[in-house]
Amino acid sequence: MSDSTPIVDAPVHDPEIGADEWVSRSGDRTTRRGGLIGRAEHELMRLPGTIRFFAFFGLLALIPVMTSDDYLIRIGTVTLVFALLALGLNVSVGYAGLLDLGYIAYYGIGAYGYAMLASSKFGVHWQAWAAIPTVVGATVVIGFLLALPSRRLSGDYLAIVTLFFGQIFYTLAVQGYKVSLLGLNKDLGLHSANWDVTGGPNGIANVDGFRIGSTTAITDHAYYYITLAAVVLVFAALHFANNSRTGRAWRALNDDTLAAQVMSMRINWLKMLAIGVGAGVGALAGTINGALLQGAFPDDYNTYVLITIYAVLILGGAGSLSGAVLGAIVVTVGLEALRPGTEFSDWTANGRGLFYVTILIVVLTMMRPWRRVLAVLGGTVVFGILLHVIIGAAWPRGVHGGILNSASTFDHGGSMGWAIRHWLVLPAGTFQTGGYTVFNYLVVLLIAMILGLTLLKGWMRDALLVPTIWLAAEVYEARLIEEGSGATRFLLLGAGLIVIMAKRPQGLLGKPRVEIV
Amino acid sequence: MHAFALLGYFQSYQLSWSYLFDQLVAGVTLGSLYGLMAIGYSMVYGVLKLLNFAHGEVFMIGAYIGYFVLVALGGALSPAVPVALLIFLMIAAAMIGSGVLGVAVERFAYRPLRKARAPRIAPLISALGVSFCLQQLASIFFTTQYKQYNPFGLSGGTLTTPWHLGSFEMSWMQVFVILMTAFFMLVLWQLVTRTQIGRAMRAVSFDLEAASMMGIDVDRVVVFTFFVGSALAGAGGVMNGLYLSNTWPQVGFTVGLIAFTAAVVGGIGSIPGAMVGGLAIGLLKSFAIGYWSSAYQDVIVFCILILVLLIRPSGILGVPAPQKV
Amino acid sequence: MTPLLQLGGVSMAFGGLQVISDLDLHVNEGEIVSVIGPNGAGKTTLFNLITGVYQPRSGDILFAGESIVGLAPNQITNRGIARTFQTLRLFLNMTVKENVMAAAYGHTHATVVESMLRLPRARREEKAINALAEEKLAFFGQRLMGYRWNQPAYSLSYANRRRLEIARAMAAQPRLLLLDEPAAGMNPVETHEITELIARLRKEGGYTILVIEHDMHVVEGISDRVVALDHGVKIAEGTFEAVATNERVVEAYLGLQTTETK
Repeated sequence: MSDSTPIVDAPVHDPEIGADEWVSRSGDRTTRRGGLIGRAEHELMRLPGTIRFFAFFGLLALIPVMTSDDYLIRIGTVTLVFALLALGLNVSVGYAGLLDLGYIAYYGIGAYGYAMLASSKFGVHWQAWAAIPTVVGATVVIGFLLALPSRRLSGDYLAIVTLFFGQIFYTLAVQGYKVSLLGLNKDLGLHSANWDVTGGPNGIANVDGFRIGSTTAITDHAYYYITLAAVVLVFAALHFANNSRTGRAWRALNDDTLAAQVMSMRINWLKMLAIGVGAGVGALAGTINGALLQGAFPDDYNTYVLITIYAVLILGGAGSLSGAVLGAIVVTVGLEALRPGTEFSDWTANGRGLFYVTILIVVLTMMRPWRRVLAVLGGTVVFGILLHVIIGAAWPRGVHGGILNSASTFDHGGSMGWAIRHWLVLPAGTFQTGGYTVFNYLVVLLIAMILGLTLLKGWMRDALLVPTIWLAAEVYEARLIEEGSGATRFLLLGAGLIVIMAKRPQGLLGKPRVEIV
Repeated sequence: MHAFALLGYFQSYQLSWSYLFDQLVAGVTLGSLYGLMAIGYSMVYGVLKLLNFAHGEVFMIGAYIGYFVLVALGGALSPAVPVALLIFLMIAAAMIGSGVLGVAVERFAYRPLRKARAPRIAPLISALGVSFCLQQLASIFFTTQYKQYNPFGLSGGTLTTPWHLGSFEMSWMQVFVILMTAFFMLVLWQLVTRTQIGRAMRAVSFDLEAASMMGIDVDRVVVFTFFVGSALAGAGGVMNGLYLSNTWPQVGFTVGLIAFTAAVVGGIGSIPGAMVGGLAIGLLKSFAIGYWSSAYQDVIVFCILILVLLIRPSGILGVPAPQKV
Repeated sequence: MTPLLQLGGVSMAFGGLQVISDLDLHVNEGEIVSVIGPNGAGKTTLFNLITGVYQPRSGDILFAGESIVGLAPNQITNRGIARTFQTLRLFLNMTVKENVMAAAYGHTHATVVESMLRLPRARREEKAINALAEEKLAFFGQRLMGYRWNQPAYSLSYANRRRLEIARAMAAQPRLLLLDEPAAGMNPVETHEITELIARLRKEGGYTILVIEHDMHVVEGISDRVVALDHGVKIAEGTFEAVATNERVVEAYLGLQTTETK
């Protein structure tokens, strides 16, 4: 069973002191998944990185050829923008271990900067080859300046400063329609009392697409390829940077800052460099977004987006470039699937499919013997039906409600709808007045039960799992599904961050880190 | 009247002493609220070296608890109990509720990471997640509309109408907030210096490993720290609601950031420093609003933060910690 | 000949605790000097002062004739001083080879942009750093070679970690090596190896070495000169025999001899 040829970069999952080669490789032998999936994964990892790289991105490049659905292309482009953002964030968070919470500001500055240089706002219409480097360069400088005050301090201070800066950026963007020189414009003899720099809450509209010479990028296809190209180039550049003296220095500074400094690395400069490079990539994504949306609007660069970018990177695996890309795909597609009323979510029936499939996956992966899985899932079904029957007998109106079928209609929803309506307790008129409050309490109960699950073990945990799953579905169908365009998606995002940190801090593709506390 | 020739753009109204006094009082009031919240940040950072991003949310929940108690007891216009008792109940409920929430957050979001010796960044990310979740839950349950405390209706408006001392004016609400904060500080100081658990907290702040080896139950100390810090924030939330007359789901986040800055400015890890920092920031903000513009008040606070970090990173009352190699 | 390293009147205190008092110390090029003393004598503090982690309250530290007080640690390393740590401080999540390559940062110059674009200087330096790392790791025989290069540092055994730290220090291409308790926690066989290793470091590597050690066998085996510290004060200096039998040194380790029991 053992390989005679050493596998380069074989992952070792636990520190094994005093072991020899064969013993130290036992880690990957046991953790490799069995069966077909395991073999496939193993063979895939055998291919050199370059081939995997070109194959993957080649596949992505073919997507617009395979489908002509503009909506899908749009989703793809948004996914790639987030991938780009995560790649940039990976430099400061993943490589250097610096929590840059103002990352959203670089994204926003990129967009607004481009908008100011290529729109009718100031009558300036630069071409892409001039506008993009200018904006990116300026943002890199801003990143450096931001990291400057806290370069000698621990990472916590940097987190606060950058977080604040991100908020300041948003404030400036929203308030920036009446900028003046300390209110002294008139006194100084200037023509207008204040200037409209950022367009305030309405942002800057009518931004040009990317223009080179006389060609302007307008179509969704064009921006898909532009973004894809950006992702490919940045990915490659960061990969090379990671395997250079700078990349090693960043990772050294992440592992042990003092030792890095004593081993000849200029840590202050390196910290600023990491933030600066990340800022540049973020700005690049910003320019693309600005051209794509043909505008720069403040609410595209607020805290929600920041949390989304972080979720992308953390889920995919901080420290891993492929993780950043994978995370972008998972999060963007997932969020989109949960948004009611879009084409995509109609396929998954407003994220319903995604919701139930996710529960299934979680249960399947967390419990080993299939009997247990069947017992829990079967129990959940039976539990629901029983509850439905009992409540239905006592209070018929309580179970005659419909389920959300598209953005605004509630009806009986086909066969899956029939199954759901008879499994859950959905009172008539749920979404109309009066239905809310009890479900609010049920959400609280659900949270308490989930927390309780973390405290229990063994059969008690399985027993509690049954009503918990039922209640989750109940709350989802009756209450949260409606909030899909807003709070629920972000609630799940936040919860996702907590769970990832607790269960698998290295994300999907990251390497488990060993730290001396 | 003296003319303040600062930059030469004051209107005559703004040159008066009474205007200055107004800003001063407003600043101290605001600063007290920031200070109460900053204490929670400082305490938790001191004990766990963790930036508790979710701290703003216990402030917010406290404010909502206060609101619901107010509504349950009849609302500002027709309370079922005397006003003093009403306010007492609101604050007490908020303190308990926020304290419990803080403890729960620690128990479920941070402690597992501590036990598993997760990488340093993990609790920070988790804190971001918790903060976000709580904000979204508040949006779902309470809607994003501002909930009105209507302090102007309390006891016929006596609490919010300003009374005059010569040409200077203050309101009972401001006095209340300031005195309440002073009271809390006193109690807290006794708690931290005179009690067993307060001493244990200071020991753990100094060196967690050593303290645990000296027989101190670190988990209990952490729970205590979170409870006290969160309870203070909850009280701050209610008082913020009474003073500024409303609350909304994101209030914790915005106030939290300012309070955080206050904790850093005053010296993170130091309780008196947190209050000093809070007052400093509160006064600065108030003067910025009063004499410049309210739109850029946060930008000014940010600049102060940068300045402090450049000049004296350990803060006003902080002690630079020597690093043992 | 000016000593390679010279400390004159160096004092250091943490708050009210005087850790090093008025210390004079010198190391000539090519020497191996050992520093001994009971725990708390200030030995690691001495290393921290030399490498710029702490600043002395008073006194001067000269390296190759120039003062290095006030310089940042990375600047001092670039001048030619490298060290290992008493409590290992490896870059655990990086591979064995990367740990060694990382220390070459100070004497290479490719900027991050050059690396991203794979410009000639970056590629050249990368090759050179690679070769340097392999050369330094080869110093330790087969233990840190071959498949080990790409294993994360946290997978190494304790003795190998100590060796890796030395290899990493070597990659900074110093003139002076500071080894802080290189034989700590090792069994007699490994200790013997370390003794031989240190001798080889001087002979084959040409390094000047300042060693902190507790194990007297090692000290005896390698030292040209021994310096004994106690409570931050130098109490003896000379050959091993002279220092080992010095009254004050014995007293520092074993305590004052009072009346004999009958």
